Amino acid sequence: MSSDGDFRGGGGRGGSRGGDKGRGGDKDKKDGKRYFFRRRKVCKFCADKIDYIDYKDVKTLGGFVPERGKILPRRMFGTCAEHQRKLTLAIKRARNIALLPFAAE
Amino acid sequence: MIQKEDQNQVSERTYEILFIADPNLGEPEVDALTATVQGFAEKEGGKIQKVEKWGKKRLAYTIKKHREGSYVLLTVEGGSALVHEVERRIRVTEGIVKFITVRVDEDLKKAARRKARRGDDKRPQAPRPEAEEGMNL
Repeated sequence: MSSDGDFRGGGGRGGSRGGDKGRGGDKDKKDGKRYFFRRRKVCKFCADKIDYIDYKDVKTLGGFVPERGKILPRRMFGTCAEHQRKLTLAIKRARNIALLPFAAE
Repeated sequence: MIQKEDQNQVSERTYEILFIADPNLGEPEVDALTATVQGFAEKEGGKIQKVEKWGKKRLAYTIKKHREGSYVLLTVEGGSALVHEVERRIRVTEGIVKFITVRVDEDLKKAARRKARRGDDKRPQAPRPEAEEGMNL
């Protein structure tokens, strides 16, 4: 299950805050049966067949921008590399024209 | 949809010019401003494909001390020289708070191609699994 390392990294939120212990901590978790099945994330854009991510579409973009206004890494939403790239560009364009904030005030 | 121009035309590109007009301007003034910008594009040999007024929207951050602005979106067909000139003119036009020009023809074309390709393969699409629990930051 070592290939799950990615997801575990992103999934620390919500659960217990034991991630700081490093590798050992992870093993403890496994042994202590606190390791639960994580559903595989699917790229929303692939699933919905959105080919062109529009910078003007604030509704869609807003779903991928947390309150603070940051662009989050792929592991958070499970977007595929291609769509993450397009999403990033769209968010940046939207920011430029004040549809999305650079940072929340 | 705007991707119907024929492929032999190389020099023609499609751009979106989105600009924010001063919120203190009234409706007719915004219309006049839009016409002015359209005039800039037409003078450079551009073809206006679409004009969309979004009305007053709240800005995500303050620009030149404005908290809101009237958005106007123009879709223009033309060459790269057009963008250069139109942008220069917009910069010296009063009443425009901010603008952005984006080239859209290539991306839209790519998207259309992908769509067409997808239409060919008849593999059944797996139902989309439920999204992960919302982000809590």
